[in-house]
Amino acid sequence: MINKDLSIDFLGVHFENPFCLSSSPVDNCYEMCAKAFDEGWGGVVFKTIGPAHFEVDEVSPRFDELTKEGTPFVGFKNMEQIAEHSLQENLDDLKKLKKNYPQKIVIASIMGTNAQDWEDLAGLVTEAGADMIEMNLSCPQMTSHEMGSDVGTNPDLVQKYCEAVKRGSDLPMMAKMTPNITDMIPAVKASLAGGADGIATINTVKSIANVDLDKKVCLPIVNGKSSISGFSGKAVKPIALRFIQQLRAAAGLEQLAISGIGGIETWEDAVEFILLGSTTLQVTTAVMQYGYRIVEDMKNGLMHYMEEQGVDHLKDLVGLANKNIIPAEDLDRDYKVYPKIDWDKCIGCGRCFISCFDGAHQAITWDEKSRRPSVDYSKCVGCQLCNLVCPVGAISTGKIEMKPGRKGDPSKVDIESVRLTH
Amino acid sequence: MTNDYTKENSGYTMTTVAEEAARCLLCHDAPCSKACPAHTDPAKFIRSVRFRNFKGAAETIRENNALGSICARVCPTEKYCELACSRSGIDFPIDIGGIQRFVTDFEQKVDMHILKKGKSNGKKIAIVGSGPAGLQSAVTLLEKGYSVDIFEKNTKPGGYLTYGIPEYRLPSDIVDYEVKRITDMGANIHLDTSIGEDITMADLKSNYKAVILAIGASEAKMLPMFDNNKFTESAVDFLAHVKQTKGKVTLPDNIVVIGGGDVAMDVSTTLKRLAVKNVTDVVYEEFDEFKASKKELAGTRNAGVTIVDGYIPDKVNGNEVTFKHRKIDSKLTIKADKIIMAVGQQVNPDRLGITIEHGEVPFIGYRTEDPQVYVTGDIAHGDKTVVWAVRKGKEVAEEIDSVLGGSSND
Repeated sequence: MINKDLSIDFLGVHFENPFCLSSSPVDNCYEMCAKAFDEGWGGVVFKTIGPAHFEVDEVSPRFDELTKEGTPFVGFKNMEQIAEHSLQENLDDLKKLKKNYPQKIVIASIMGTNAQDWEDLAGLVTEAGADMIEMNLSCPQMTSHEMGSDVGTNPDLVQKYCEAVKRGSDLPMMAKMTPNITDMIPAVKASLAGGADGIATINTVKSIANVDLDKKVCLPIVNGKSSISGFSGKAVKPIALRFIQQLRAAAGLEQLAISGIGGIETWEDAVEFILLGSTTLQVTTAVMQYGYRIVEDMKNGLMHYMEEQGVDHLKDLVGLANKNIIPAEDLDRDYKVYPKIDWDKCIGCGRCFISCFDGAHQAITWDEKSRRPSVDYSKCVGCQLCNLVCPVGAISTGKIEMKPGRKGDPSKVDIESVRLTH
Repeated sequence: MTNDYTKENSGYTMTTVAEEAARCLLCHDAPCSKACPAHTDPAKFIRSVRFRNFKGAAETIRENNALGSICARVCPTEKYCELACSRSGIDFPIDIGGIQRFVTDFEQKVDMHILKKGKSNGKKIAIVGSGPAGLQSAVTLLEKGYSVDIFEKNTKPGGYLTYGIPEYRLPSDIVDYEVKRITDMGANIHLDTSIGEDITMADLKSNYKAVILAIGASEAKMLPMFDNNKFTESAVDFLAHVKQTKGKVTLPDNIVVIGGGDVAMDVSTTLKRLAVKNVTDVVYEEFDEFKASKKELAGTRNAGVTIVDGYIPDKVNGNEVTFKHRKIDSKLTIKADKIIMAVGQQVNPDRLGITIEHGEVPFIGYRTEDPQVYVTGDIAHGDKTVVWAVRKGKEVAEEIDSVLGGSSND
């Protein structure tokens, strides 16, 4: 069995591996965190601790899932709020975790209703022995507008609360950002101005996943009504990666320290977040579906990836993709690449023909007798939709051609993807 | 066409294996893993496939089962892991063998080298026989730091894997690749070397700390009434001949097979794949008590073999065999151009100085009355399947290690 060092430093704290539970139902007490540590997680962001005066009162049921074809949990909708245990119980759990797992990283997620709350909570979790603080500025399902994602969209409030936390604690601190915003950069800059050392993102996306067609209300139904609440899981991964890339591409934020969150469930997802600039990773939804054990394959798969890449230190992978993601207007538009059809693999389903006609440029012709497609090069624009819809991997990228009047060497065009798909 | 003797069915693709793995319920304390005699741990490798960690899946299989690619193809999973599969409560079990084949094919494609020889402890072990039990015991011993010499009487290593299982079920190049992994680890295989002819048991005992007999049951059983019948051939000889010639054999149009185990199914299906017109398999057992696995039986039926159950041979006259039913008053006479006998196999213990009772060496565990000599594989107690040979191969190596003190005492 492969064994490689997955340790990494983040905000001056040493993690034995980058995999952390995000602040959520999955790490809501000592026993859960202890089991997660035993199964190999490097850190936990303990479920958000609020001030003693804020009472948590949950609804039942509180979850919903988005499915597609036969796949459950494409996305997950969650109405649960912050930790329901008492402030003292939470602080005791933090202390006990640190005592029994000194090598693991315990991050306290906190949320206040005003600057004084933030400052007090920061002081309390520091006394309890937390290694790091995460400010939850982004939970979309709080029952108070002074808490949650509305705060994270207001740069002035973000800065003010960060300053408060820094007054209460000298621990490394990351501000957890909401994706329910067009541009995350002003809020991130405000948090840094307020003293944040790094960023955690994304929190959940405000959502309605399903509507009951008889009762005319979204799910889950809480005594006849329901609410908008946070969406997570694989479906939000593209949104998370986009925000992280935009942050790392912004002037002045190129070295921004990020804890990446959003739909991570495999080692490949983890690598994607790292390549776009995440140093540590946080997971909830996949754990809710499958349990803490998923960390085994994420760690092992990441080790194999490092081995393939010839990388001995995880930090050497952080942000490697950032420079290759550029504004659309700067892309090379001088060539097109045609699809190549492997007739030995083709099973004659005709999906490429349908998608090309109805969704692209009518460039695939269909032989009704032999049930085989072929490419009409006079019409093909090289979009590769056919390649994506082929269920048996019979279509790949083929001949590359410069557009009329454009200069360049087609043999030097780089288009191949090595990701394991077919 | 499926009637090609050398053509293996195509396995899963990256997309279809994900679909099959998605059917898996990822059970807690998974019953499939507990049901694998070799502890190959299907629950763990299927979970790795589900989370796209194909290399980790390969590590799980290979570290638990040195013959993972072979078991993936030949294991009667319906009796073991797939029998235990919780998914049967919904519809039908996960195709665990198929997923294992995908993973081990992936392992071969990306050329992983998972098995590693342990730090040498200076102790040498001799293994007689290079079938599955001999190969697995070699791997476990090598991992523990022993050096290993395997003595094989045939020209090629692999035993029944090489000479018995038909090409369409187990391609020779898969066996070659599995053996190569093991010789790459450091096992020396001495081919064309028979005990008692080329080297004696006494030589082995004086040159090695321990001797493992993994000779299998390679000799065909025959029914006395067919002695000296020129139309009759044993299944063992027939399958070996077809496999060694990769199916380039000339066969008559009308063949009778006698026997109802997996070997009889292999013979019958092979005959149809070689385009023999009429293949009739006459079986002692009735269908509800069949010994052959359901999968093999289904394959044989799909190939177009006529299967007659419940009949035993009564008399034979040249190429004319008369069978009678075991329970009802019924006789059946078949005239065939060729008769193939698949009624079991036995151990040939000549020159090895061991006692055989009921086809096994009569000891609990693996150590014989001669404390330097151990047995494993089909001549040791337990099922006569490849996956059990793997289990017995691991266990005999563990037992030797515990007796010899292992690397930890060095």
